[in-house]
Amino acid sequence: MLRYILRRVLGAIPVLFGLSVALFLFLRLLPGDPAEAILGQHATPELIKQIRETLGLDQPLYVQYLDYLGRLLHGDFGASIIDGRPVADSFLVRFPATIELTIGALIFAVGLGIPLGRLAARHPNGWIDGMVTVLSLFGISIPIFVLGYTLVFVFAVQLHWLPALGQIDPRLGVTPVTHFAIIDALLTGRVPAIVDSFAHLILPSIALGSIPLAIVTRITRASVIEVSNEDYVRTARAKGLTERRVNDRHIMRNAWLPVTTVIGLQVGGLLAGAVLTETVFTWNGVGSWVVTAIQNHDYIVVQSLILIFATIFLTVNLLVDIGYAFLNPRIRYG
Amino acid sequence: MADQTTAVIVRSTPRASRGLWRDALRRLRRNGPAIFGLICIAIFILGAVLAPVIAQYDPTIGNLASGKQGPSLAHPMGTDLLGRDEFSRVLYGARISLTVGVVAVLVGLAFGTVIGAIAGGAGGKVDALLMRITDVLLAVPGILLAIGIVAWLGHGQIQIMLAVGISYAPIFARLLRGSLLALREAEFVVAARSIGTPGHRILVRHMLPNALTPLIVQATLALATAIIDVAGLGFLGLGPGDPRIAEWGEMLTDSARFLQSAPYLIFFPGAAIVISAVGFNLLGDGLRESLDPRLKR
Amino acid sequence: MALLSVSDLIVRFRTHDGLIHAVNGVSFDLDEGETLGLVGESGCGKSVTNLAVLRLLPQPAGRIEGGAVYFEGADLTQVSESSMRELRGRDIAMIFQDPMTSLNPVLTIEEQMVETIRAHREVSKAAARTRAIELLEMVGIPKPETRLRAFPHQFSGGMRQRVMIAMALALEPKLLIADEPTTALDVTIQAQVLDLLRKLTAERSTSVILITHDLGVVAGMTQRINVMYAGFIVETATTPDLFARPRHPYTVGLLHSIPRLDAGDDEPLIPIEGVPPDLRRAPVGCPFAPRCAWRIERCWTEMPPLEPLIAGERVTTTGPAATHQLACWNYATAVEASTGQPLRDGFVAAPPPATVIEALAAAGVDPGAGLVEFGQEGRS
Repeated sequence: MLRYILRRVLGAIPVLFGLSVALFLFLRLLPGDPAEAILGQHATPELIKQIRETLGLDQPLYVQYLDYLGRLLHGDFGASIIDGRPVADSFLVRFPATIELTIGALIFAVGLGIPLGRLAARHPNGWIDGMVTVLSLFGISIPIFVLGYTLVFVFAVQLHWLPALGQIDPRLGVTPVTHFAIIDALLTGRVPAIVDSFAHLILPSIALGSIPLAIVTRITRASVIEVSNEDYVRTARAKGLTERRVNDRHIMRNAWLPVTTVIGLQVGGLLAGAVLTETVFTWNGVGSWVVTAIQNHDYIVVQSLILIFATIFLTVNLLVDIGYAFLNPRIRYG
Repeated sequence: MADQTTAVIVRSTPRASRGLWRDALRRLRRNGPAIFGLICIAIFILGAVLAPVIAQYDPTIGNLASGKQGPSLAHPMGTDLLGRDEFSRVLYGARISLTVGVVAVLVGLAFGTVIGAIAGGAGGKVDALLMRITDVLLAVPGILLAIGIVAWLGHGQIQIMLAVGISYAPIFARLLRGSLLALREAEFVVAARSIGTPGHRILVRHMLPNALTPLIVQATLALATAIIDVAGLGFLGLGPGDPRIAEWGEMLTDSARFLQSAPYLIFFPGAAIVISAVGFNLLGDGLRESLDPRLKR
Repeated sequence: MALLSVSDLIVRFRTHDGLIHAVNGVSFDLDEGETLGLVGESGCGKSVTNLAVLRLLPQPAGRIEGGAVYFEGADLTQVSESSMRELRGRDIAMIFQDPMTSLNPVLTIEEQMVETIRAHREVSKAAARTRAIELLEMVGIPKPETRLRAFPHQFSGGMRQRVMIAMALALEPKLLIADEPTTALDVTIQAQVLDLLRKLTAERSTSVILITHDLGVVAGMTQRINVMYAGFIVETATTPDLFARPRHPYTVGLLHSIPRLDAGDDEPLIPIEGVPPDLRRAPVGCPFAPRCAWRIERCWTEMPPLEPLIAGERVTTTGPAATHQLACWNYATAVEASTGQPLRDGFVAAPPPATVIEALAAAGVDPGAGLVEFGQEGRS
C-alpha cells in the first residue's frame, strides 16, 4: 500500500515538471518578442529592459528555465502586468471564492446524484429510471453558461427568489477577512449576512454542479445495478439477511468504489467549469481571473494560473487514487 | 399434440449475424432515443448547411431601428441589439459550430489515433514517453487546456479548431492505446497468431474493428462536447474574433446584459446549443449500445 | 413425512427474448439425512429448481408459476418473505459454485460469518466470533483466529469454498443445497472438499441436495440421483441402481460419454449428438426426442410421465429402497444400455411427424436445426 502511494507520487512529479517546461516555453514562444508580448500595450523601452532583466530573457534557455523553476519553488509566480501585484498574493485573495463555489457544486452534485442514482437503480427501466436518465442527458448537454443564465432568469429575474450576481450583497458591509464569503459572513454574526452569502451560492452551485450531477447519477446507477447482480449479493440473501442489510453492507459498500473515483475526477471538471461559472455570475474567483488575464494579455498570470490549476488537479487525482486503494481491500492488502 | 402456439423443442436458429456493422445498424434503428438524437442532429446539420437558403436576412447587417424586438412573424427569433435577425444568426451560427466542432474532433482523432497507435503498437519506452506527454496535457483539466492554447495561438477559427482538437487528443490516444494493448493479449489474437496469421492481417481483421468501435462512440460524444466547448470559448471572448461571424457563444455574451429585457436573445442560441449537444449525446449512447457485440439482442 | 417435498414445480423467466420455460413440472422428495444428487447438463434446470426452493430466483424475471415446495409440511411458495428470510441460512442453506464471486470482496471473513450467525441468533459479537473460529477449525482452516480478519481474495479457491461451507453449516441447517460446489476447483482440491462435505453432513444428519453435471462426483457422494433434462426429471433411482441399470436414453448417453479406465482400447466414446433445446418454446413431447436414438413417434407429441420402471410397482420416493422411475416411452434394455445404442432389428429412430414439422415452420423455427438423424445402425 505504501509502495503504491510512493509509486503514484513519484509518477506525478515528472508530469508536473513536464508541465512547467511546457508553460515556461509557452511564455517564451509567444508570437513576436516575448518581452513585448508580455508587456503588450504597456510596452515602453524602459519596461522592456526591466522585464528582460527580471526574466533574464537574454540568458540561455535552460538557465532561464532553472531560474523559473527556482522561483516557482519559492512561491514566486511572477507579477501581474495589469496591477503589478504578485500573482501569489492575488491568488490567495481570489482562490477562496472558487473553493466555495467548487464545494457548493460538489455538495449539490453528490448530495443529489447518489440518492438519484440509487433510486433509478432500484427499478431499472422503470419510469423513475427514465426520468433520471433524461435528467442526466440534459445535465451534460446544457452548457454551464446557458444553464446559468436560465437559472438567473427564472429565479432571480422572474421569481426574485434568489440573487443573481456576486458572492454577497455589498450593501451588507461584510468585511473580507478570509475571502470566503460564507465564513466572513459567519464572522460578523449577523444572520441576514449569513443567509445572503448562502443565497448567493445556490444558483452558481447548481450551474457548476450540473455536469458532475449527471455523471455521478449515471455512475451510481450503473454501479448499483452491476453490484446487485453479483453472486455475493445472492449469497447474502441466501443467508437470510434482511434486504436492508443486503443493500447497505453488500450492495452499497461495493458500489461506492467506482463512484468515489468518479467524484474525485470531477473535481478537475469543476475547476475548469469554474472559469465559465464565475464569468456568468461575476464571482471574483480564480476562474474569472484567468479570463480577464487572457483578455488583457496578462500572460504571466495565465501561465501561473494554469500551472496552479494543473497542480491542484493532479494532487486531487493522487488523493483519489490513494483513497480508492484504501477503500478497496483488494488493493490495500494486495 | 402440437398446439397452435408452440412447437417441439428444437434449437431455433438465431437470426444470422451479418457482420458487426449491419447488426449494429439494425439495433440502432430500434433504439428510440438514438433516433431522436439523429433527428436533432439532422435539424442542426440542415440548419447549418441550408443557412444561406433559409435565412431571410444577412446575419451581419442590422437595422438599428428594429433593434431588440421580440419574436414576431418577420423575425421568428427576434432581433438583437443591432437589429440583426436572430434566426438568421442562429442558423449561421450553426455553420460555425458544425465546421469548427467537426474539424476539432477530426484534429483530435488525427493526433490521438496516431499517438495511441504508436504507443499501443510499439509498447515499452516509446509507450511510456508518449503516455507521459499525454499525462501532461491531461493535467490541465477540461476546457482550460483549450483556453490556454487559444491564449497562446490567438483568436481565429483555425486556432480554436486546433485548441479544442488538441485538448481531445489525449483522450483518443489513451482509448486507442488501451484497446490495442488489451487486444494484443486477447485470446482470439493469440489464437490467430498461433495458427500463423501474419501480423498485419491480425491488425486489420482482428484488432482494428474491436479498437475502432470505442473510438467511434467517443468521437460522437466528443462532437457534443466540442459544440459546447467552442461555444464556451466564444462566450469567454476567445471566439473567432471576427465581429461579422455569428457564433453562438459570442451571441450569448453579447446578449447577457439583456437577460431581463430580451431573454429570447439568450434562450434561442442556448437552445440551439442544447439541441445539438443532446443529439450527439443520444447518438453516441445509442452507438455504444448497438456496437457492443456481446449484447444478444 | 419427507423433509422436503417438491411437487410439480414450474418455473419460468420473463426476458426480452421471450418466456423461458426453465422448470416444467419437477417432483421429488428428500428425507432427513439423505444426500440426493441432481444431475444434468447446463441449462437443464437443476440450479433453478433449487433457487426456487429458497425463493432466490432473480427478480423480477424469475417466477414460480406452478406447483409447491413443502418443507417440514409448510408450502414455501406461499409463506411470507420474512418467514423465508428466517428459513434461509437457518433451516436451509445454500453454497454456490464460484467461491471467489460468492463472497463479498470488501468484507472480512469474520464480518461475513458473524453476520450470518447474528442474523438468526441473538448472540453477542464476541460469541459469534468464537463460533466462527470453531467453524473454521471444523472445515480445516489453519490458524482460524488470524484468518478471520482476512479478505476473500487472500484465500485460495479451496479454502474459500471451505469458508462457504463453514458459513452454510454455521446454524446447523436441516438442508444444505450445494450448487456445483467443486466445479470451479482443481481436481485434487475437489476430492478434499467433497470429503469434508460428506463428513460434516453425515455427522449432523444434514440432508443434502448436490447439484452437478459431473457423474463422478455424485457416484461417491449420493444415495439417490435425479437426472434432469430441459426442466424435467427424466430418471430417478438410487445411486447404485442408476449406474448399474440406467434405462433412459439420456442417462445411457451420459454414462457412455465418460471415459472409463476399464474400457477396451478401441471402444469409442459415444457423445450425445445434437444440442440442448431452446427453452423459449413451451415443451411439447419429450424434449430429448431430437437427440434420442430410441425415439418413436409418440415421443414427438406427448411428454412421458415419470413412472416406475417396473410397471405397477408401488412408488417409494425416498430411502435406499426408492423406486427406480423414468419418463420414457421407449427406454433402453439392459443390453442396449451397456452398449449405448438401440439394438433392435429394423428399428429406426422416428422422424418428426408432419404435424410437428408444420407447427415448427409456423413458429418460424427450422425443423432441421438440432435434429439428429439416426440411420439403420442406430447411429448417424
